Amino acid sequence: MINAVLVFNNSGQPRLTKFYTQLDTTTQQSLLSQIFTLVSARPASACNFLPLPPLLSQHSTPNPSSSSSSDYSDAPTQITYRHYATLYFILISTSTESPLALLDLVQVFVEALDRLFENVCELDLIFGFETLHAVLGEMVVGGVVVETGLERIVEGVRASEGGMKGKRRSVNEGGYGGPNGSGIGMGRSMGTGAGGAMRALGWAGGGGLGGWR
Amino acid sequence: MFEKSLYDLIRGLRSHKGNESEYIQGILKECRTEVRSQDMDVKATALLKLIYLEMFGHEMSWASFHVLEVMSSNKHLQKRVGYLGAAQTFRSDTEVLMLATNLLKKDLLSASIPTMSLPLITLPHVITSSLALSLLTDILPRLSHSQPVVRKKTVVTLYRLALVYPETLRVAWPKIKERLMDADENSSVTAAVVNVVCELGWRRPQDFLPLAPRLFELLIEEGNNWMLIKIIKLFATLTPLEPRLVKKLVRPLTNLIQTTEAMSLLYECINGIVQGGIFSATENAGEGDELAALCLGKLRGMIVVENDPNLKYVALLAFNKIVVSYPALVSAQQDVIMKCLDDPDISIRMQALELVSGMVSTDNIAPIVKRLMKQLRSSPINANELEDDGLDSTPIEPMADSDGENPAEILIEDQRTSEMPPIPNDYRREVIARILDMCGQDKYSNIPDFEWYLEILVELVRLLPPQIPSEADLSNSAVESVPGTSLAERVGFQLRDIAVRVKDLRPEACRAAESLILISNRSALYPPVGSGADPVLGFVSWMVGEYSEYLVSPQETLNALIHDSSAALSPQILCSYLQAIPKVFLRIAAKASDGWSLSERTAISLLLARVIEFEETLSTHPNLDVQERAVEYLELFRLVSEALSSLQSEDRAPLLLTSVIPELFTGLELNPVAAGAQKKILPPEELDLANSINPRLSSLLQLSRTEEDAEFDDEAFQAFYSEREAAPPVKAQNLKVSVPQVAEQLSYQAAEDPEISARRKAEKRERNRDDPFYIAQGNDESGRSSPIDILRGSNGKDLDLDAIPIVDLRLDETDIRAPGGQAAPSKQKRPKVKRRVEIAADENFDSEIPSSGNDSAPRSYEAGNAFPSGKPHRPRKNLLQVDSSGLHQLSLIDDANADRFDLQRREEEEAEMAAALKEVERMRLEMQRAAERVETAEGVDAEGTVVKRKKKRKPKGQTEDGQGGAAAEQPPEETAVAKKRKKKKKRSEVEAMRADS
Repeated sequence: MINAVLVFNNSGQPRLTKFYTQLDTTTQQSLLSQIFTLVSARPASACNFLPLPPLLSQHSTPNPSSSSSSDYSDAPTQITYRHYATLYFILISTSTESPLALLDLVQVFVEALDRLFENVCELDLIFGFETLHAVLGEMVVGGVVVETGLERIVEGVRASEGGMKGKRRSVNEGGYGGPNGSGIGMGRSMGTGAGGAMRALGWAGGGGLGGWR
Repeated sequence: MFEKSLYDLIRGLRSHKGNESEYIQGILKECRTEVRSQDMDVKATALLKLIYLEMFGHEMSWASFHVLEVMSSNKHLQKRVGYLGAAQTFRSDTEVLMLATNLLKKDLLSASIPTMSLPLITLPHVITSSLALSLLTDILPRLSHSQPVVRKKTVVTLYRLALVYPETLRVAWPKIKERLMDADENSSVTAAVVNVVCELGWRRPQDFLPLAPRLFELLIEEGNNWMLIKIIKLFATLTPLEPRLVKKLVRPLTNLIQTTEAMSLLYECINGIVQGGIFSATENAGEGDELAALCLGKLRGMIVVENDPNLKYVALLAFNKIVVSYPALVSAQQDVIMKCLDDPDISIRMQALELVSGMVSTDNIAPIVKRLMKQLRSSPINANELEDDGLDSTPIEPMADSDGENPAEILIEDQRTSEMPPIPNDYRREVIARILDMCGQDKYSNIPDFEWYLEILVELVRLLPPQIPSEADLSNSAVESVPGTSLAERVGFQLRDIAVRVKDLRPEACRAAESLILISNRSALYPPVGSGADPVLGFVSWMVGEYSEYLVSPQETLNALIHDSSAALSPQILCSYLQAIPKVFLRIAAKASDGWSLSERTAISLLLARVIEFEETLSTHPNLDVQERAVEYLELFRLVSEALSSLQSEDRAPLLLTSVIPELFTGLELNPVAAGAQKKILPPEELDLANSINPRLSSLLQLSRTEEDAEFDDEAFQAFYSEREAAPPVKAQNLKVSVPQVAEQLSYQAAEDPEISARRKAEKRERNRDDPFYIAQGNDESGRSSPIDILRGSNGKDLDLDAIPIVDLRLDETDIRAPGGQAAPSKQKRPKVKRRVEIAADENFDSEIPSSGNDSAPRSYEAGNAFPSGKPHRPRKNLLQVDSSGLHQLSLIDDANADRFDLQRREEEEAEMAAALKEVERMRLEMQRAAERVETAEGVDAEGTVVKRKKKRKPKGQTEDGQGGAAAEQPPEETAVAKKRKKKKKRSEVEAMRADS
């Protein structure tokens, strides 16, 4: 299962934290900063898998009493991340999840956000805090993936937001004036944005995602 | 008053650059009042702001009641904020959750799908077993809701319910299975069910075997890749239980591997084949080999062709799983794997490193180690690592804009660049540890050439990274002989271990040690920064001491040992130094005494003076261990120095130096002994330490004291020592009487006739007359100076040497193996080996012999000490881990009868409890009415009205719930609550009992 979904920016500022097990706020924060330390040190050439941070590795003694296949356990064993512009998307999961599939899941997540926000950028996620949670809620429930189809995710979020749409719009357009206004404008105007986010994953070799969607 | 929205908060935050935390404190204060507002809009907005700030670490457990309030709002968007608050901030100790039960029930029955979804997606975050118990009946029907959106979420929610309350599955599993079996089910729901089954599957795979046909069907249909991956993962846990599955799976999996374009699916197919043991389980070997070749070829392709770090990483991950059971197959891919060792990506290198240490053999160890050494050499050691490690950094404060970032940048994934990162010290440590592991495996059985390995070890010393603080702490307290505390210690340990075990290599090992100890080599052989390599000195100093005969230049070595800088070393190392100094010194002295002359004497005296000076500085060392050793040796050296200065003749070295002190340090050679060997020695049966040996001891002591008191007298004392006794205490005339007595006392052999023994002695004397090793007995008068004569004088001339008992030492009971007797257990090298060496194994006893009780005794003692037996020790839970231990006990196999029986029993219990509750309620009402009557008589009726109103409200609430109230019955809601309480109580009792046991 997925144990946690984290989104933070290049300076470690959280944008989304979702833990599928109860964890006190301070531990959440130190885990967040440990993962940020690990992930921010990685060059862009590196693969998208992180070693476990100290907080998670210290207790990970293999459970000797686990009966059946020792390959699985309840303890998280893999951390998958993807870096999009200013944001890191992190998934902490147990070994029942496929690492490559998780990478695709992040991509679906970002694409869904892109669909909802149109040329999504970090600012959208800051102001669209609730929508961000709603999108995740459509995809992952209690650490188990329930939907990977882009259309259905977007549909689900739209249904739950109902009248929200207008409100969210007003947040974005109403205007964060000032120095970054141009940034939004740029985001809006660029036709390539969607293509960028939708770009097929490099590793999948073009149509590698195959029967995903 | 104008309230800020979340939007305003964020904007405000961005405009208060520099003093964000102040601004946030202000906001938090505002929120505290706003969240108490009567206006639901204000309340919800404040809550949303609090949830946002909670993400930055601002605790909001105090607001949990307000979360509930917002959850109960009638507006969906406000409700959503409330539920988000619950999911994000409720912890296991949040008590208000119990108050939410009715609200959750109501929302689960909502007609609006978004509203109904809220509790479904929030429950996994907050569920407790008691909540699960009371909500199960409401969630279960959602599984057959008309909308797939609801069904798929319900499946997962039920799974999370089952984790805290395993009984959930007893009722939910048949329905979940129904969803899976239904061929017309929406694909999203099927996928969700498969995901849940996959999560459940590895815990109790045997329960899921009946699902195999349906899963197989889904696999063939080739729907959603995500689902296929999960099905394959599930099959991987099932195949070990049902070998027949293998035959069915081979074809579709092969097909998938050959045709799929999705790398994730390809990878998981291979992974599933490896995990499920399908290589070896296939019936005809040819098919298995074919499959293996196909998988390995694809994995190889993932590394070579795609040139994508992620694929490389996962391919190595898969190789790592294969290498456990098929090292030969992986070794065939050695070339690409070796390349990965030099990959710019550290994660990939780590995987490759793990892999090579799994497939290492005598043939490939040299190139592997060579490659790793090259890596270590090529990058400088990072000295400032401690600062890099700042993992426990300050808490994250929300900041205004992150400098130099453009948050409006569209989220486009980064392009990969290729740059070479510096080697972090973590990786450096890992590499060194792996080299030591690989080479030290099975008592160095992989080493083709020990001279080469010694060189590697010496070089490793220079490449050691600085110690990390925790490691340093550990190594201070740890026992020195335990390898693996720190890398430097491990290197030192292996050097010493080789010197001890591999006799043939001792000269080389000793020379390596010598090179490491010399001061002049410090800059060349030790890391330029940090003192991480210092622990090596402790080991090598022991080596140069113990095997000083192989030293090239003992003089230089001693100089290094007593160098001024040595005194600053850690106490542990110093102790080892102090032991080594006399050994090396004596080696020098022995050499000098061969051609003893005045110049030699002066040289030795000078050296001695320096040694003494060094020991003197240490004799006041703060560490007691060091101090004690220094003082002891200091005295010894002073004695030598006195002997030297008082030496009369110039042609011979003092006896003290040439034979007496060396005796202290020579003896049996040290052999490696297995750690547990000592425990295996049986104490002799007759050994009784409880009984005193001489029961009259106290009276004897008493006696001796009184005698002392009586006789103690200066003159007598003087006389006793200075005057020679005129005659031996045993007089000649007593001889005839005393000899047999002595013989009887001393000999356990048959007592001999004194005459026979006298004759024998005469014979013996005759025989030994000319033997220089026997002292002739004839010259009684002249030989008084010899100690033997003194003894003889006091014991009687005819002391019977033969009569001294020779106890037959029988050790065969414990079967001690002679040292070296099994020292050559054919850890023999291949023809390649340059030099045949013997590696001594640990000395030990045959485990069979002492195991008869003695061996098991300490073990059972330990077991008793550690954990109460019977209860398996559960390791500490990982932070993010869900506790699924309850599921292990629950069987899902269709046992309808048992199930029905169970349900029936539960119904009966419930009915019983309801009846009891009714009774209690009736009593309570009666009492209350009685009280009312009293109170109304007094003119106070407050209590009574409350009761009445309460009674009225209940059925109303029920109709709202849409359940419709059967008026005659006890309100089911209330029974549920009461039942729950009772259950809870029961549970807590059980837990208390468990805790007791």
